Amino acid sequence: MANNSDPNTEPPKQELIITRVFDAPRELVFKAWTEPEHVVRWWGPKGYTTPFCTIDLRPGGIMYHCMRSPEGREVWTKGVFREIVVPERIVLTDSFADAEGNVVSPSHYGMSPDWPLETLLTVTFDEHAGKKTKVTIRHAGIPSGADRDGAQQGWLETADRLAEHLAEA
Amino acid sequence: MPTDTLHSTFAALADPTRRAILVRLASGGEASVKELAEPFEMTLPAVSKHLKVLERAGLISRGRVAQSRPCRLEAGPLREVADWVEQYRRFWEQSFDRLDDYLHELRRGENEDGEQ
Repeated sequence: MANNSDPNTEPPKQELIITRVFDAPRELVFKAWTEPEHVVRWWGPKGYTTPFCTIDLRPGGIMYHCMRSPEGREVWTKGVFREIVVPERIVLTDSFADAEGNVVSPSHYGMSPDWPLETLLTVTFDEHAGKKTKVTIRHAGIPSGADRDGAQQGWLETADRLAEHLAEA
Repeated sequence: MPTDTLHSTFAALADPTRRAILVRLASGGEASVKELAEPFEMTLPAVSKHLKVLERAGLISRGRVAQSRPCRLEAGPLREVADWVEQYRRFWEQSFDRLDDYLHELRRGENEDGEQ
């Protein structure tokens, strides 16, 4: 058996983490994330449009928007801001919603009903090499009914490791 | 068909000992309770308890050999977690591509407006 590193000694990776460096100053990138007229221009996968977006940028405020797929299917999502540090960081929850603003199960949109009802999104904006900005997204699943602080601990790290095993299987 | 697979998978993965057991099974194949207990300072009953949680979540299965009942990793529920991760990863990567294009567009506009 291979002598793998002990998973208990490594800090658990708690979330899905994605980073990208953008060739734009931090204030501009932060605006692009937090002002609806900017957000509608880029939010969502390739080919999607964002016909509706409201952002109440304050702790407890709501981000509510609608994405439309190339086939015309609409997906509404809604989040509540937990933390805002201009222009460094935003923390918000993220849930699927309907056109009336009610939170709905992911199964409403054909996703597995087992998916978390709510996820937590932490977006940080770091100045990078002069006038560039490094954006880091931490996206954590929050299992329903579980303790919010400890719940997602390490699950993704394991999923990542085991994904390798799945690829071989 | 269980209706809370992902939930129970998350719950099972929330514990570091259980995660270590899964990683051990992924890299080393089948193992007995005793073998799984070795790296931990835990009693066999304590490890058995973790194995029960993993088994209930469908993450492992146990063999029928009466004495050892070897444990094996079951990939099904993990695929669901991997799907979840993959879906969001794709969402963010593609949104980032579009944001990159949009920021370039904005900055071109700024320059055309006469700024340096």
